[in-house]
Amino acid sequence: MKHMALLRPAAVAIGLMAGAVAPAQVFSQELVMGVRGGPESLDPHFSALGSHAEAAKHIFDTLVWSGDDLQIEPGLATEWTPVDDDTWEFKLREGVKFHDGSDFDAEDVKFSIERIPVVSGPTTTTIYVRRVKEVEIVDPLTLLIHTDGPAATLPYDFVRLFIVSSDAAKDYSTPETAAEGFNSGKATIGTGPYKYVSWEPKGDLVLERFDDYWRGEGAWEKVTRKEMPNDSSRLAALKAGQVDVINYVSSVDYLALESDSAVDTIKGDSVYIMNLQLDQREDTPMVRAKDGSKLDANPFRDMKVREAIDAAIDRETMVEIVLEGLGKPANQMMPAGFFGSNDDIPMPEYDPQKAKDLLAEAGYADGFEVDLYCTSDRLPGDGAICQGLGQMLSAVGIKTNVNAVSKTVYFPAQGRLEYSMFMNGWGTLTGEASYTLGGLAHTNNPDVKMGAFNRIAYSNPEVDKLLQEGATTLDADARRGMYEEAMAKTMADKAYISIVQLQTVWAAKAGALTFTPRFDEDTLAFFMKPAS
Amino acid sequence: MLGFVIQRLLQAIMVMAVMSVIVFCGVYAIGNPIDIVIPPDATQDLREEAIRRLGLDQPLWKQYLTFAGNLMQGDFGRSFVYNIPVLELIGGRLPATLELVLISVLSATVLGVSLGVYAGYRPDSWLSKTIMAVSVLGFSVPSFWVGLILILTFAVNLGWLPAGGRGDTVLVWGVPFSFLTLDGLSHIVLPAINLALFKLAMMIRLARAGTREIMLTDTIKFARAAGISEAVILRRHLLKLISIPIITVFGLELGSTLAFAVVTETIFSWPGVGKLIIDSIGVLDRPVMVAYLILVAFLFVLINFTVDLVFALIDPRIRAGATE
Amino acid sequence: MTPLARFWSEFRENRIALVALVVVVLVVLLAIFAPLITPQDPYDMTGLSLMDARRPPGFVGSGGYAHVLGTDPQGRDLLSAILYGLRISIQIGLAAGGVALTIGAALGILAAYAGGRIETLIMRIVDLQLSFPAILLALVLVALLGQGKGQLIGALVAAQYAYFARTAYGAAKSERRKDYIEAARATPLSTRRVILRHLLPNCTPPLIVVATVQIANSISLEATLSFLGLGLPVTEPSLGMLISNGFPYMMSGRYWISVYPGIALIILIVAINIVGDQIRDQFNPRLRK
Repeated sequence: MKHMALLRPAAVAIGLMAGAVAPAQVFSQELVMGVRGGPESLDPHFSALGSHAEAAKHIFDTLVWSGDDLQIEPGLATEWTPVDDDTWEFKLREGVKFHDGSDFDAEDVKFSIERIPVVSGPTTTTIYVRRVKEVEIVDPLTLLIHTDGPAATLPYDFVRLFIVSSDAAKDYSTPETAAEGFNSGKATIGTGPYKYVSWEPKGDLVLERFDDYWRGEGAWEKVTRKEMPNDSSRLAALKAGQVDVINYVSSVDYLALESDSAVDTIKGDSVYIMNLQLDQREDTPMVRAKDGSKLDANPFRDMKVREAIDAAIDRETMVEIVLEGLGKPANQMMPAGFFGSNDDIPMPEYDPQKAKDLLAEAGYADGFEVDLYCTSDRLPGDGAICQGLGQMLSAVGIKTNVNAVSKTVYFPAQGRLEYSMFMNGWGTLTGEASYTLGGLAHTNNPDVKMGAFNRIAYSNPEVDKLLQEGATTLDADARRGMYEEAMAKTMADKAYISIVQLQTVWAAKAGALTFTPRFDEDTLAFFMKPAS
Repeated sequence: MLGFVIQRLLQAIMVMAVMSVIVFCGVYAIGNPIDIVIPPDATQDLREEAIRRLGLDQPLWKQYLTFAGNLMQGDFGRSFVYNIPVLELIGGRLPATLELVLISVLSATVLGVSLGVYAGYRPDSWLSKTIMAVSVLGFSVPSFWVGLILILTFAVNLGWLPAGGRGDTVLVWGVPFSFLTLDGLSHIVLPAINLALFKLAMMIRLARAGTREIMLTDTIKFARAAGISEAVILRRHLLKLISIPIITVFGLELGSTLAFAVVTETIFSWPGVGKLIIDSIGVLDRPVMVAYLILVAFLFVLINFTVDLVFALIDPRIRAGATE
Repeated sequence: MTPLARFWSEFRENRIALVALVVVVLVVLLAIFAPLITPQDPYDMTGLSLMDARRPPGFVGSGGYAHVLGTDPQGRDLLSAILYGLRISIQIGLAAGGVALTIGAALGILAAYAGGRIETLIMRIVDLQLSFPAILLALVLVALLGQGKGQLIGALVAAQYAYFARTAYGAAKSERRKDYIEAARATPLSTRRVILRHLLPNCTPPLIVVATVQIANSISLEATLSFLGLGLPVTEPSLGMLISNGFPYMMSGRYWISVYPGIALIILIVAINIVGDQIRDQFNPRLRK
């Protein structure tokens, strides 16, 4: 940004000569963003990671757009309707241009959908097109998508379906050639707001404005996205003036930054909610009496014990002290306002005495001992919340050994069902309940493709029934009711105990720019406006 | 001399072969990347597909043979995470690391040897004691702590220098260097100091110890008795005598600095291979880990080999004794 | 005068080294008796309160006493946490140093004594390892073995035994060349005697020097690994972990969480290194006038 001041007089001079051009467009506007994570490749179909999609959104567009609050809006498709039980019709936007000047049409969509299973990396993007059986082109701006049965959530699946140019990417659509074609820029031709300039893995992604963008011209002429995974370094870079805006300000710095006049902070709700999960198997490995002897039964199968744990958790303290204000108490596994969140679920009350009484009633007057597991390096505050939980549970008599471990240790072990009590951040990235409840609350059943994330053997037939019905109901209002009910029933069972919803903070140079924080925490240059 | 070179060369090749097996088996036998690389929620089909794609369904020996075969052709495989050839990934970041390491080690050596010789030459002076105190500190204080303090002081509180990143680079023979631009230079100062401090302390100690020993030897006593001036003694005898251990250590330290760059690069977000390897360990990106370790081993073998050769040139006794 | 007394009287001459020794002894004593001295057991969850979290030095918390050095993000009394952290750091340093010393010395002496193929094999491996940076080895091992005290010590030992082996080998080898050992080797019964009575004592002085350096190194390496997120579990923080946990708070002015453990760590390592330096100088025959 330093040289901007030098360029300004010249730019003004040119502006004066040109006469009619508005000054704001003449100034060399450069935006440097310091972001925590970056893309793994510039092939948008390679990875389903959030930071990957975030970077891709600068260069490419998605068929369906996910708005600031994750509710679906028109993107490259302007409207979509189910024509029968297993067919959706998509109308495409007219007059959209690719960066190379060619026209966007149905051929590109078909090409992109069919390309995904071929080039997807290990963090697979095939989840976005898993329901698609066949793509039928009706005319250049109309598509029929045939699915393998009623696919109510198909439009939600498509919010990360990036459309690449079928011409430019033609020769770069095998696992061997994709990365080379896209990382070099040869195939990196999208319809998005910015054009590829250069990219270094784990380094800088440099972009320049695409003047014919269908949403209109972006505010920044040049955008550099610098990957800076270390929270402190990122903040230091902002304070030192190296970057204009950073994402994921750590909660420890938030209060101090708020009173710093050189920096603006922008706070937004996150999709991530921390849930405590209690194993429901008859025999659970990490629970024992305080003297180390085996318990007669898994205490977490006792409703009273689960209620006691819920009552032992002081959510306010968790937010105010542990997260230093950067969060909200949570009573369900999705943020309010999402498709399927239930406003009638009460906020559990903190009552340590009630917790002790309930434990005594359940026959655990002396408490018991449990190993609590969580990640320490995945989401902001995960390790600290976990340690806070340890204190709160220990205070009511459940001796809790906290193991805040690296995600490289946690996820494999969690997948092997080695834990009895664990805390997991869950983000409802699609903005609707079938993703969250279908994955977590349904009994694990590969036949219906639900319950794959249910690592605690939670099973409630009523919930299962509602979720299966919801998945095949194409009427949105009826579906919403089913998910709201399923959410209420799941939370009432208290095998999943939601604790806090995280909040995310961006920081920018004072007076440099404004934007609306997004629920999915994406940092998108196009939607950032210079503050006049 | 030729026999000596061939002998050392064969040894180096042996070492590399052994290293490749150890590193490969070490990295591959423990830690299953599949749970990290694919999302925790992937279905069984996707999981198996990923395992097959990454070649993890093959027995270990077969994986090694494939790997070794590819290695012979200069192919280190593809990163699990980035799906690009590992060599390209590492190669793109190597200049940044090499630049940082070379600047650090060179400045540490030049400064360290001068200070150390002075401290050894006048062991009781006030300045020498200060130098030694600084060197003990530099030797003891963990480098990550120094890095944190440097950032806090010069980048955050004083705002003089950037806290991280590499800054502008200039292409020289197609390789980007940052110390040639003012912006780049300002970025390299803090990490270079951070990385050099430990080496500086080491060089001071080494030079001081060498100087003290040599100043007490008969050679110097005779030289003084013969009326040779102190300046000549320092130049002719002292520097020549301490140069052997210094060269050795310089060579060896070049390698270990490369390793320590891992810490410095992490703190200063320096886009070099050290940061890459830390990230790769975090996601168990095996091909990158293996390639990095093998390249480091190769570098070490190369450095040792070179040091041996230089030694042999300086000191004929070693050449003679080599076949013992 | 016995050699030990002579050693001591010489050591005393260097005031700085003497002070450093006193500091080391004091720190070790503080660490040993930490449970008796500290106002709080920082590892007992029931004794902690989140209400006391991140309080500045001097704050009187829910325990009714002043937190002289403030508290950490979990409401731990920092003074207590530092003393307990010192315990862990010293434990790890000693354990890793001790095991590495034993294995290294055994391998080094064996190589020197046995000669031939065994010597070549052992020393080749040792040299190979020496040429490989300890921190990288430890880093990779810890990453692969997982977190925990045992794994960490294992990684540190693997990273450091080679220094001891090299040192023991060098000292033993020079003694081994002497004629009396050749002669002693001719009588088969005395192998043990030769090793224990002649080779080992000869290796002891240099091994002590290396041991002091390596213990300090282990402590520092442990702290570095913890800082990189590859160290011990957070619930029983070592000094490195305390520093690393506290670092994010530096920018927001809550320096004490990271700075005080850092100072404790540096004092310990500097003191050990000064003592080590003095011992090294005293053992170095070439510096004797």
